[in-house]
Amino acid sequence: MSKLYPIIWKELRDMIRDVRTLILIASLPLIVMPLMSISSIYMQQLQVSKVLIIDEDRSYAYIPFLGNISTKDIAMNISYLLKINGFEPKIIEEDDKAEYEEYDLLVKIPKGFIKNLTSFTLKAYVIIEKVVGSPRADIAESVINYVLSDLSRKVSKAKITYLAMLAKTKVTPESILEPLGIITTMVKPTGTPASPEEEFKVRLARLMAFSLIFVTTPSIAYINDSIVGEKERKTIEALLATPIPRYSLIIGKVFTASIVGLIAGLSDALSLMLFFVIPSMLYGFNILSYLTPNLIAIHVVAVYLSIFTSLTIITPIIIRSGSYRASHVASLTVVSLASIVFFMALYVDIDKLIPIARYALYAIPYTHAVLMIKNAVLGTITNVFIHALIITAISLALLLLAVKLFSDERIIYSKT
Amino acid sequence: MKYVVKLRNVKKSFGKTQALRSVSFDVYEGEIFGLIGPNGAGKTTTLRIISTLVRHDEGYVNVLGYELPKYKDHVRGKIAYLPEDARLYGRLTGWENLLYFAMIYSKDKEEAVKMAKLGAEISGLSPTDLHRKTSEYSKGMARRVAVARALMTKAPLVILDEPTTGLDVFSSYNIRKIIKKYAKELGVTIILSSHNILEIQYLCDRIALIDKGRIIAVGTPEEILERARASNLEEAFIKLVGDSYE
Repeated sequence: MSKLYPIIWKELRDMIRDVRTLILIASLPLIVMPLMSISSIYMQQLQVSKVLIIDEDRSYAYIPFLGNISTKDIAMNISYLLKINGFEPKIIEEDDKAEYEEYDLLVKIPKGFIKNLTSFTLKAYVIIEKVVGSPRADIAESVINYVLSDLSRKVSKAKITYLAMLAKTKVTPESILEPLGIITTMVKPTGTPASPEEEFKVRLARLMAFSLIFVTTPSIAYINDSIVGEKERKTIEALLATPIPRYSLIIGKVFTASIVGLIAGLSDALSLMLFFVIPSMLYGFNILSYLTPNLIAIHVVAVYLSIFTSLTIITPIIIRSGSYRASHVASLTVVSLASIVFFMALYVDIDKLIPIARYALYAIPYTHAVLMIKNAVLGTITNVFIHALIITAISLALLLLAVKLFSDERIIYSKT
Repeated sequence: MKYVVKLRNVKKSFGKTQALRSVSFDVYEGEIFGLIGPNGAGKTTTLRIISTLVRHDEGYVNVLGYELPKYKDHVRGKIAYLPEDARLYGRLTGWENLLYFAMIYSKDKEEAVKMAKLGAEISGLSPTDLHRKTSEYSKGMARRVAVARALMTKAPLVILDEPTTGLDVFSSYNIRKIIKKYAKELGVTIILSSHNILEIQYLCDRIALIDKGRIIAVGTPEEILERARASNLEEAFIKLVGDSYE
């Protein structure tokens, strides 16, 4: 009988019977990812944000080539667009302002606005009072900017057309308003044209890599308990005096802890789908179609390898420290390191870094998990395999190191 | 007589603390050998060295014909060790605790099940109790399974470090009965350590008194009594160790 079998047999039984921990491991990503989705998309809209609109000018004018324009219409337009964006706009009189103490943003159309707007020598202003530290006020401001920019453009066009008529010359208002334009086209890393979908896919890859942040912690806690916990519960010493080879002991424990990782991986993949289901349902945009079975499979493998590598990094440290405190601190360090890489994946193109930074990151196994997902999304499957091989090789080397560093004496005599 | 364990001038330090200053004794095949001494005398360190878990600094250690630490892998399959206050795996049942160790010592599943069945018999627990999780066991029940786990292997050398520590009178009595009965039935050699002089007197064929990392005396209980000119082992121990504990 292989000596690995009893270890895995025992560890699996031990793991399965700790139902609460298993439920926690499986449910953590399932709870956190949809919550992130809800909080980032839906919760913002649940905030009650008041915007006050004061029309001090209360005037109107006729602009040639545009028609009648009134401050009342402008206020109504702003109010309408704010309302459909989830705000509570209210058009009020200046005298009533004192009644509305709590507001996120105030828009004031001052006296002389229409006069200045229709003038060829003056400039019209809208005054905005914004409450500090309110993210909703920022969004409201951008909605108002949209309405006013549109109006500004229309008035400019009308004025240019009118002046051109007086000058009896032919002009295209756009060429005066924006004489310089930028044409952007999307291309793949190979240089071939890319659709906007490709851009979305890259963003999806970043998000998928970021989701790995939730899966490393549970299995690390498990291996900690499996080694240091056995010492604490006074079961390891008898085991060490048996004919169990040390490599069987370590591989058995790491392998079983990595099964926890697999559970976390599947849960993470499912949670990722939930993350996208919510906005899909809200906006009718079928984001899920991008999560192909291949991509999900590679994501699960990347999750498993991230966990496996975390276990192989932490195991030599646990073996040498043998104490709960030291292994806990070491675990936190490893989780932080993983989190830094996965968080960085949201903003940094690892392939584009200067060589010294790139190679430094290549030495961290988590980087290869990120690159596996990125290449999977971009369809460069060969690179997926290369990065999977690298992370596996690093992990196996660390596992061998753990076997080499294993010392019965240190385990027995270290202080818990 | 064929020796199973031979220790000569064994020394071991942990930093500045000298745990063993000079430990020498032989344990012969088939006997129950007792190691008796106060707390911190070096009993556990000695047993850990014999169990291959700790390397000695100086001296000579031979277990079952193999020199340690060089041949520790050869020794591990031939010894069974029950550390002081060893616990069971709480989420496993008593039967599974036995089967786990049986699988480690066996070549195949069939042999492992047979070994675990012997362990179940040695423990004396009912099938119902054996299929309960050991986290629900009393201390006495858990220790019976732990001792059975060591004895069921029929390892030529069984090492028991204070097997009755922390147990009540009845549980200690049961453990002693198990050790006495199965040591002879299974034909294994046993080294055990204890604070309890009565226990040592009841169980052991020969004993070694250890104090401050040194062996003070080795022999049968009768030989020790004669040497110390004492009427019981407790008196002999006090006389031989000296005044330091008065």
